[in-house]
Amino acid sequence: MDSQSKREQEIALKQIIVISAVIAAGFLLQIFTGSVVQEILAAPVSIILSAAILSLLFIKQGDLLQQCGSARVSLILIATLLIISMLMGIIPGNTIKYSWPFALIYLMILVNLSLATGRRLRRFRLWRDLKFILFHLGLLILLIAAGPGSGDTKRYFMTVREGDTEWRGVVSGGTEVEELPVALALLDFDMEEYPPKIALIERRTGTSLPAGRPEYIDAAAGNRGVIGEWSISVDSFEYPKMKAPVAHITVKKGDGVTINGIVSCGNYFQPYHLLDIDSVYSFAMTYPEPQNYTSHIEIYTKSGLKKNGTVEVNHPLTAGSWKIYQYSYNSTMGRDSEISQFELVYDPWLIPAYIGIVMVMLGSLLLIIKGGESNGVE
Amino acid sequence: MGWSEFIYFAIAALSMWIAGTILLYLKDRTLAGDILIVSGLATFSLFIILLWIKLGHPPLRTMGETRLWYSLFLVLVGYAAYKRWGYKWLMAYSVIVSGVFVLINILKPGIHNTALMPALRSVWFVPHVTVYILSYAMMGAATISSLATICKRESVERNPLIELTDNLVNIGLGFLLLGMLMGAIWAKAAWGDYWSWDPKEVWAFITASAYILYIHSRHSGTGERWNQWIIPVAFILLMITWLGVSYLPAAQGSIHTY
Repeated sequence: MDSQSKREQEIALKQIIVISAVIAAGFLLQIFTGSVVQEILAAPVSIILSAAILSLLFIKQGDLLQQCGSARVSLILIATLLIISMLMGIIPGNTIKYSWPFALIYLMILVNLSLATGRRLRRFRLWRDLKFILFHLGLLILLIAAGPGSGDTKRYFMTVREGDTEWRGVVSGGTEVEELPVALALLDFDMEEYPPKIALIERRTGTSLPAGRPEYIDAAAGNRGVIGEWSISVDSFEYPKMKAPVAHITVKKGDGVTINGIVSCGNYFQPYHLLDIDSVYSFAMTYPEPQNYTSHIEIYTKSGLKKNGTVEVNHPLTAGSWKIYQYSYNSTMGRDSEISQFELVYDPWLIPAYIGIVMVMLGSLLLIIKGGESNGVE
Repeated sequence: MGWSEFIYFAIAALSMWIAGTILLYLKDRTLAGDILIVSGLATFSLFIILLWIKLGHPPLRTMGETRLWYSLFLVLVGYAAYKRWGYKWLMAYSVIVSGVFVLINILKPGIHNTALMPALRSVWFVPHVTVYILSYAMMGAATISSLATICKRESVERNPLIELTDNLVNIGLGFLLLGMLMGAIWAKAAWGDYWSWDPKEVWAFITASAYILYIHSRHSGTGERWNQWIIPVAFILLMITWLGVSYLPAAQGSIHTY
């Protein structure tokens, strides 16, 4: 018994040494060749690498491969991943995610996952092994799509003026302009806003009152409210197209003083307007905040596809392997913006990524139902 | 109904929880204790519902609002665990910790304006955050349970609490992963990428890895004492993810700060 546990310890030590050596090699690569350039993963590399990793699922495992796919190696790798991701979380502005040591740890995890999953698949029994397979095979698929698959992902920003059609995009994170196989025509840009708010401010500093716990009242006609010792009623509110919002308000202090006048937050060409109540304090209007913005667009692809639709935040539009996201607009002009900015993402690995995500989610549901009961592990 | 009325609801709910828990200790089986605890839960939930109606969107956005759900879920999990396994101390602990969070919310409520920015307007918003907070509550309970195991003098291996801890961590991890993956699907729709190593994502990843380490460690026959120690450490990482990320220098410019 004792000699066996000693042997086990020796094996564990060997595994730690081998893994450390791979990471050390990663450091050397980092020093001599710099960070991993994601483009080197672009097809066909991504396809070959994924096929190689997935083939481990079916390969007959000798002593060495069995060790590579063992639970203890998983344990060592998870601990390593934990340490490197903590560095990622602590060091400001780091680029660890593009570093060779990180890439090699990722690769070792893929190999370990594939071998462990393969072994379990060969003696699969539905109720015993379902949770294990959902988690491990799902994670393997997701990590392949997110890792080797990332080299095939392309991202561009495109700015389109209302009424125009655009087919040139700027590479995300770069400055080069490229002609894309997709063109967008912006038919209309729309924006909904929350109503602006009336605030009591200290004129010199602009702080909203009561200090630290500011209170606001929606600028909507007929609305009433109390801020500090003042009761406010909004007599009228106007916000015509291409103009700044203006509210006419009446404010009353507890002791009977009544003041009325207009407040406005102004916009890109109109000045703001305050309602002064004494030499220190004024009523003011805050800028309306965006609630939602939508672009009505037409998409044309080189393959001849033509599609009409709307894009808004949280609701991208799909055209083939391209997804079009509402990204931004001219924020100084707010709802009067005459341009809309889109992010175009080409990701042929999206479907496998979703398959992986759904499998791990199903595994999580099983985990919640079953709790910590035995997992059928030898 | 807004934050200014919170103090009345909070004090009512807390008093019922405390009285109910004391009754559980005084008598072995008590209907009055159960009724008090459930009424406290109902009172607290009522406040959340009224606040939700007032804000016009689910109160899940600011720190103060997430603390609100944590206070509720913690007592809910503590009570469910008491009903299932009969641990009174877990119930008492949940009430105390929940009380701390209620107190923070009374002294420093997260009052922000009610406008919900466009990226947050999504069907994933409510499940993503609630599932996470539920998981945090379970992990909190698991941490206390693991510390109780570590501190007991008797052999760690034979401690019956281990089974409870393991259940809580497994279920908690199920919720944690669900929250993370729903976040990934949401991020894909909102930002165009399901994972971007944003500081909050990095720390959520670290936290999940730590709990996954515990599960693998347990299955590869590592000593039970060592396994039990992973849980409080993982919980510290969880706290950094939830509360600490905004203070880290590496997290400046995170897309998760609202």
